[in-house]
Amino acid sequence: MNPTQAVHALLRASPDALFVASLGTATSALRAASDDGPHLYMGGAMGSALAAAVGVAGKRPQRGVVAVLGDGESLMGAGSLWCLAGIRPPNLLAAVLADGHYTITGGQPLGAPGGFAEVARALGLHAEVADSEAEVERAARALPRPALLEIRYDERTWPGPSPFVDPPVVRFRFESAASR
Amino acid sequence: MTAEAQSSWQRALAHALCGCGVEAAAWVPDKRLAPIAAGLEAESVVVHTLTREEECFAWAAGFRAAGGLPLVLIQCSGLGNSLNAIGSLVVPYGLGFPALISMRGALGERNPAQTALGRSTVAMLGLLGIQVFPLRRAADVGMLARGAVDVAEGARELAPIILEPELDLGG
Repeated sequence: MNPTQAVHALLRASPDALFVASLGTATSALRAASDDGPHLYMGGAMGSALAAAVGVAGKRPQRGVVAVLGDGESLMGAGSLWCLAGIRPPNLLAAVLADGHYTITGGQPLGAPGGFAEVARALGLHAEVADSEAEVERAARALPRPALLEIRYDERTWPGPSPFVDPPVVRFRFESAASR
Repeated sequence: MTAEAQSSWQRALAHALCGCGVEAAAWVPDKRLAPIAAGLEAESVVVHTLTREEECFAWAAGFRAAGGLPLVLIQCSGLGNSLNAIGSLVVPYGLGFPALISMRGALGERNPAQTALGRSTVAMLGLLGIQVFPLRRAADVGMLARGAVDVAEGARELAPIILEPELDLGG
């Protein structure tokens, strides 16, 4: 499984959800899998994507929200897992694309263990690990929210689209999608 | 200034911001901000206590991007924790919302650990292209709240109200 296939599975599971993608692989994979859909792509702000998704979920409680996060991103913003466990938005899934590397900076190893699902469970969140497209889709459909899905993939191919997005365009399209 | 008088400008500020449409807030707790948070909650505004100031700005950016009007409350020392979320999310995406920044390291400060970030708070925001709105007198609460929300909603800019020490020093 590669990251684009993983995000395809998330989109199949939650076709009407609002998606937030962290910088780098997550943004490129979401752009590729959704044909550049009107999602909240981060061009920077490493470590901020999960907290931003919690904000989206708070404003739009009637919508499903999926945060697509890199594993390096999730380590930098690790406190937001505690925020997720404290606020417990009933409409939010955090999906961590875990390959153990900082892809956008050249593929350096994380230097720390992942274990995102275990940490999430320790915090009282629903959590699973998935390592195939079918497992990602099944778990993304089945997990009660709030939840974390750790997606372990081994095909570390760059999805394709640039992760350097045009912020005002992203904001305008996302605002429109969120208000529908 | 008495504790009651002190808390009155804070309650008035919370009331004014609610009247301007603030829907939800995030903060990292602070003694001086606490009466404002209590005032917001008294008017049914949800106030989230988050782990770090950067997280407050990111949360607010998401809430704003989804069409809401959030508020962030931090002590100025927390601005140092927040620069990446402000500089690479809030500013470039045009996600304007009001923020309350309680000053430390300024007039009357006795803790040397606070002074460097206190002195540089307004300068850091200025370098990011962010205009600040200092609040020194309780009588200006309503004007500052309305003006900051207008900047945030209309001009789509982060609109920090700087809670100056004079508010608690008889200003």
